[in-house]
Formats: sequence, structure tokens, C-alpha cells
Amino acid sequence: MGTAVTVEIRDPVVPAPALERAFAQLRWVDRMFSTYDEHSQISRINAGVLDVRDAHPLVREVLTYCDALRAATHGYFDVRAPLPGAIDPSGLVKGWAVDLAFAGLQRAGVRALCIEAGGDLRVTGGPWRIGIRHPRQHEHVAAVVVLGSGAVATSGAYERGEHIIDPHTGRPPTGVLSVTVIDRTLAQADAHATTAFAMGPRGPAWSARMTTMTILADEQVLLTPSFARLRAA
Amino acid sequence: MTTPFSLVQVRVTLTYGRLTDVQTVALTGDGPHTQALNARAEPILRREALQAHSARIDAVSGATYTSRVWIASLRAAIERARRG
Repeated sequence: MGTAVTVEIRDPVVPAPALERAFAQLRWVDRMFSTYDEHSQISRINAGVLDVRDAHPLVREVLTYCDALRAATHGYFDVRAPLPGAIDPSGLVKGWAVDLAFAGLQRAGVRALCIEAGGDLRVTGGPWRIGIRHPRQHEHVAAVVVLGSGAVATSGAYERGEHIIDPHTGRPPTGVLSVTVIDRTLAQADAHATTAFAMGPRGPAWSARMTTMTILADEQVLLTPSFARLRAA
Repeated sequence: MTTPFSLVQVRVTLTYGRLTDVQTVALTGDGPHTQALNARAEPILRREALQAHSARIDAVSGATYTSRVWIASLRAAIERARRG
């Protein structure tokens, strides 16, 4: 994934073996799902070297879910594969992996937990005060939310100055600097934030019933009611 | 094997070659959320000026590298829809 992952445990006693297992699990997910590593299961499936039926059960399970979704959305279009016939679930894997490691630590008895990966995070056992990075002043935050438990994902154009294309216009989105979505799982929050951001000006309407903060290029901020309720006073 | 994740996929609808709808499809969990997506009435969004704080925080959320992968996937989906 090439992403730094931070695990913070606030319990009086930290179960070190469970923590080791969580990081091992994240490394495992990276090895299994990386599209940059030619030896990953996804790469080998795409290369025709590995039959899906012989893949790891967890990889198979993910891909089975993908197939079920594709069948269930007949007439629509899935986004797993940038190349026809290829599998690329990598856009989901970071959030999914955090959710996986998160659940493992909870099962090990961890109560107060925060896992952050590349600017997205999931917490439980709060209150956790979570800043949403200011899109122009990186040393500042644009808002602070207080979460007992939940996941926060932000998508925007302000990291590394990448060129993101608004699919509506085929051009880089103008008008939206970033979209933050809070949801129960990080996979869900990440997918929603990125989708809303990609939609550009249509994003706020699409995500209006979610827990969302949209920062517009004119430095106006749109908050949904549920997001506004989570903000620190 | 049971895994505690919520798999999400984006589906795109094109009408006359223009993007008319993007929906996130959740396979597991988050029932209330899916229901919320289906609700018709939109809540009133609160609008305010962007501010810069230096408040005490435990963690920070910012834009991600992974986003680019997703955007690329979404673009690919739309390209396929246009060709299809």
C-alpha cells in the first residue's frame, strides 16, 4: 500500500502480541492485494498465473463479494478494473485492511483504539478529537470533530498536488477542495468521500444525507446536519 | 470465513454520454446508511466560511494517496460506460 499506518491504544495495558498480529495482518494484506508487486495474489491473478479458485480464502472472499456486487448491479458499472479483464480492488483495500486490523484488536480486548492510515482513520473508545486538515494551511485544521467511535476519510486535491479528474467534466474538479465523510467503517467512509470528491460540484447534493463536510474552492464550507452535530464546540 | 468489513463499490449511470448518477453500493452492514441514500428529501446543508484552527487534536484526517486510485477507477468505469 505504501502507506504509513499508526495504531494508538489508550488502554492501561497494551496487548503487545495482538498489536504485532495487527501489523502482520496489514503487511499480509499488502502482499496479497498489491497491484505493484508482481508476486501478489492480485497481480498473479491478473497475469493469469494464479487461478482465482486457488487464491487465498480471504482473497477469494473479497473477489466473490465483488462478483456478487457486479451481478446485483446489472446495467451499471463496477470500478474494480482500470484495465478490461483485470482486477484492481486496491482503492478499497486500505480502508478494508484498517477495518480488519481494527476488528482484530477489538477482539483481543482493546477498548480505546485509533488506527490511522494515510490520512484516513478509525476510532473507538473515545472521545477522540479528530482534526480535518485545512486544505490550504496544512499546519492548521479546518474543523474538529469529537467521535466516540467511527471512521473518518478525507479526499481532496491537496495532498502532493496530484491531478484528480472530475468524471463529470473530464477535467480536474474545480470548485471543491476536499470532502470528508464519517461512517461506521473506513471502507465505507473512504469510498463515499472519494466518490463525492470525484463528483465535484454535484458531490454535496449526492452526499447530503451522509455525515459530510465539503470544502469549496471559494473557501465556503458545507456541513450536513449530522456532521455539524459532531463538531467540537 | 467471516470478515468484519464492508465492501463498497461504485456504480455509474450514463445518460447520453453524460454522468447522471453515481451510487455507492454497500454489500454488508450499514443498513441505515443505504436507506439514507435512498431517501429522497435532502437535508439543508449548513454553509459557513472556511476557518483555520490550531485546536488540540488526537488525530488528523487529510486527503489520501489512495484517492487517486479510486478516481482512476471511476474514470475507467465511465470510459467503459461511454464505449459500451
